Amino acid sequence: MIRLEQLTVPAGAFTLHNVSLEIPEGAYTLVIGPTGSGKTTLLEAIAGHVPVRDGRVFLRGVDVTHLPPEQRGVGFVYQQYHLFPHLRVRDNIRYGLRHGTQSPAEQDARVESLAGMLGIEALLDRGVGRLSGGEQQRVALARALAPRPSILLLDEPFAAVDPSMRHLLRRELRTLHEREGTTTLQVTHDFDDALRLGDQVAVLSEGRIAQAGPPDQVFRFPNSPFVARFIGAGTVLAGVLERSQAGTEGDPFAARFQSGALSLEVIASHEGPAHAVIRPEDILLSRDPFPGTPRNRFPARITRVERTGALAYVHLDAGVQLVAVITSATADEMQPAVGEVLHAALKATAVHLV
Amino acid sequence: MQPVSSPPTRPGGLVAAFLASLLILFIAGPVLRLLLDATPTSLAGAARDPELRASILLTVLTATAATGLALLLGVPLAWFLVRARFPGRRLVAGLIELPVVIPHPVAGIALLLFLGRRSAVGGVLANAGLEFVSHVPGIVAGMLFVSAPILVSGAREAFHGVDPRLERVARSLGDSGFQAFRSVTLPLAGRGILAAALLSWARAVSEFGSIVILTYNPKVASILIYDRFTLYGLEAAVPAAVVLLLVAVAVFLLVRLLQRGHETA
Repeated sequence: MIRLEQLTVPAGAFTLHNVSLEIPEGAYTLVIGPTGSGKTTLLEAIAGHVPVRDGRVFLRGVDVTHLPPEQRGVGFVYQQYHLFPHLRVRDNIRYGLRHGTQSPAEQDARVESLAGMLGIEALLDRGVGRLSGGEQQRVALARALAPRPSILLLDEPFAAVDPSMRHLLRRELRTLHEREGTTTLQVTHDFDDALRLGDQVAVLSEGRIAQAGPPDQVFRFPNSPFVARFIGAGTVLAGVLERSQAGTEGDPFAARFQSGALSLEVIASHEGPAHAVIRPEDILLSRDPFPGTPRNRFPARITRVERTGALAYVHLDAGVQLVAVITSATADEMQPAVGEVLHAALKATAVHLV
Repeated sequence: MQPVSSPPTRPGGLVAAFLASLLILFIAGPVLRLLLDATPTSLAGAARDPELRASILLTVLTATAATGLALLLGVPLAWFLVRARFPGRRLVAGLIELPVVIPHPVAGIALLLFLGRRSAVGGVLANAGLEFVSHVPGIVAGMLFVSAPILVSGAREAFHGVDPRLERVARSLGDSGFQAFRSVTLPLAGRGILAAALLSWARAVSEFGSIVILTYNPKVASILIYDRFTLYGLEAAVPAAVVLLLVAVAVFLLVRLLQRGHETA
């Protein structure tokens, strides 16, 4: 278990501010944030590599704020892996076992077992200089896991590998996590990692936790325009809310959200300036007018169609810029053309206000 | 394979190449001229000269002692200057390079004032049995003063080349700070530190200006060469100069070999 209490960490010109976070035993948590948001500094503060100005770090229920790194029992894998260049792969993995009570034979067995688990047995007697990014990552993981740390910290572990290797390593990491049961905290700038790997996610912005929770929850209900934009939750529109129906004080009410030339019926809990997050999958498109219930119906001109494998993103001008998504099969059938005006529809409940 | 760039063909390039070759000739010419005197006969003559033998031995031993001290004191200093952040770090870094710009006789006078019997420090040390002026420790002090900056500078560069995150990984794997230094930093910086130590040693061997003031006798090789030149002329100085030059060339080649190994490692 990792618990951070109002952690403030200066790191050069940059400071992490009042970071509080709790990661349950055995959970896989991701901290995401843009470059320079303090992700690596956060990991280094947990591992004891940078001094903490204020706040507390608890690992496994013990206050380790002032303990040196070697007494924290934390495995650490940096973005560039940082394998020891003067040691062979085997000696890199064995490095952390030197301080334990295991016999040389037991150490060998542990090295072999991890190498087998990660598919790097053939590399054990090689130097680290000529390993590929994926191989280096596996060796770094094996090295960090060898002493059986109860906590594993991963700094952008997929940043230096190509996309195909990334998918494979992501799967392997999840399997490894399930097998070893290590409480894992990974930092990334890719929300896809969070959706695929994480039990929970924390979004870091300029040294502060902007939002934390289960990845799906954060994705569906971002709490700020920054979070919505950063995780790619959808189109973020700035506008103004006006109550359109009287109701009980404190209850959600029907309102009109005006952003540029677009006016949407929404369910709101306050009036005044607001941001609306509109997910691409919530915008329905048709060449024929929508019959029935959608409260928001408006014409939208196609400005661009972007195909990404199974999906096609349709960029629209509806007085404001919007993005809708359809399947490639639908796109093949519909053949949306740039300049064409379609009918768009959006449920009032699908507009997330922040 | 490295791409080979074509030689400069424009007039500007030719002028630059001509000027560069003048400097190369200026440096290589005297060295090669003296090396021409390194014949078996002259070397055998030098080997039979007991005063020269004793002088070379003294030079090698005192330079080795000075380099040992520079390593002992300079490596921790270099590490602190690279890794630690403390008030006055820049001042210390500047101070350690000061001997490079001080004329060496001036360094000798400063050391004489600081370590002479009549100074506070020199007095205490003399009472403890450590005399500098006109004694062997004076030679080591002069050598250390002028060669330590070379060692510290080289060691700093070597430590700069070791990513501090490697040490952090080692710490997370259970190493104390010193264990991480011994097992990760030192092996990785070792080649650079060794090259710096060799350069520092070579600088100590060639020192003259401060030693001539602190300890004229017993004579190190550089003073013996000067002594023979002023007393007996050029011919008497050449055998000793040839031996010193061969030592310097050997060290130079060793350093180049180490640096090349480091680049290809």
